[in-house]
Amino acid sequence: MIRLSPQLRTAVQRTTLPILVLLSGAVIVLGKADQLLFDSLRTAVSDTVAPVLDAIARPLNAFGEVVDHARMAVTTYQTNVRLEAENQRLLQWQQAALNLAADNKQLRGLLKAVPETALSFVTARVVANSGGAFVRMILINAGSEDHVSRGQAVLTGEGLVGRLTEVGDRAARVLLITDLNSRIPVTIERSHVAAVLAGDNSERPRLLYLPAGDGAKVGDRIVTSGEGGVFPPGLPVGIVSATDGGGPRVEPYVELSQLGYVLVADYGLSRSLPQPLPMLARPARHAKIDGDDGTLR
Amino acid sequence: MALKVFSIPALPRVNNGAGRVLPVATTLLAAVISVLPLQIPGYAALTPVFTLMAAYHWTIYRPDLLPPLALFAVGLTEDLLAGSPIGVNALLLLLTRMAVLSYRRYFVNRRFPFVWTGFTLLTAVAMVALWVLHCILDLSLLDFRDTVIRGALTVAIFPLASFMLGRAQRAVMGTG
Repeated sequence: MIRLSPQLRTAVQRTTLPILVLLSGAVIVLGKADQLLFDSLRTAVSDTVAPVLDAIARPLNAFGEVVDHARMAVTTYQTNVRLEAENQRLLQWQQAALNLAADNKQLRGLLKAVPETALSFVTARVVANSGGAFVRMILINAGSEDHVSRGQAVLTGEGLVGRLTEVGDRAARVLLITDLNSRIPVTIERSHVAAVLAGDNSERPRLLYLPAGDGAKVGDRIVTSGEGGVFPPGLPVGIVSATDGGGPRVEPYVELSQLGYVLVADYGLSRSLPQPLPMLARPARHAKIDGDDGTLR
Repeated sequence: MALKVFSIPALPRVNNGAGRVLPVATTLLAAVISVLPLQIPGYAALTPVFTLMAAYHWTIYRPDLLPPLALFAVGLTEDLLAGSPIGVNALLLLLTRMAVLSYRRYFVNRRFPFVWTGFTLLTAVAMVALWVLHCILDLSLLDFRDTVIRGALTVAIFPLASFMLGRAQRAVMGTG
């Protein structure tokens, strides 16, 4: 280390703090102005730290299981009563579903419809969440080494979780459907009315752009519409839980604050999402739109 | 503003390596803890601001061992890990140091309730400032309730954090 004279050292000590405060302010403004400026840094840090976080998250998953066990032990009786009733109902639904599946298969055969199935799934562990009131994201321990790529849908058995926004070699970041920046084209399953599911950082995102008078009712199932080509149509998202002012609210099927493992599904659609362009090398607008059309399928 | 207030008072020298890195290490640990995916319903949104606790504690007791550059680095790391707008936590921690250093002489050698009251005031100001900053960055009016609960949790957990940091400080550095 360089030896500084005592006076100079004191001067440096006194000015570092104000300078760093100004620097942080500048970083915030720059990061806001050009979202991609710090992207590679972010991805590099996620990649480096993901294995460490993964190691720490493992015992936490076990802890979560213990909490679940304790809760189950307390509520066994009520749960059992509820499940028996539900089972009765579901057995009837199973019969109905089997009939419908047989019908469906036969009709699809007649129509020569193309089956819609995910091409591949990757299961990943959640290693970090955003920890704060202002962002809804999670970090998972799968990256381009595991053949996941930006824009892919992230699900659990219950329904849609979000989509991949940043993919490193070993880790990827998922923008949850509740985040302020999340906008997902959906339809109301009952009426086939299209809408946009917009997150606002609350637990229940809002339905926007519903046609007047064609509103959603409490209990309506919301599924992805497939418009925009990022998600396939029909992925379960949630249920309309309230319809008071400011647009109906949707309760997601997935308990987003308790994610342990998620599935990254590759439907072969992720290239439809335009890659963000760095501010400095941004071509004219029409060129970008041409690029989008080229990748649509 | 006079720069005099940001100068570091003379403190007993810590000669062992572990003692010298303890403040930075615990603040970094606080950043990591805040992104851990605890599977508690609703926890993610209400995660207490652990780094604020560490920054406050060390700026009062050992400001020489948690220099501004370390706060800046830890803040940036937290932003990068959490996916929050980059620079926000760095700014928060540095401003915390600024504020605490200016009033530090009132807090050293005082009883814990007094230190806790100081932290409560700091958290209140910090949470409102964070909320305003995010509203500006997102260009929308964000729900204030989560911020209030998060602030309350942060204040509630501070005694435990301060106790643990104090214990670590005594164990490793041998001074209170």
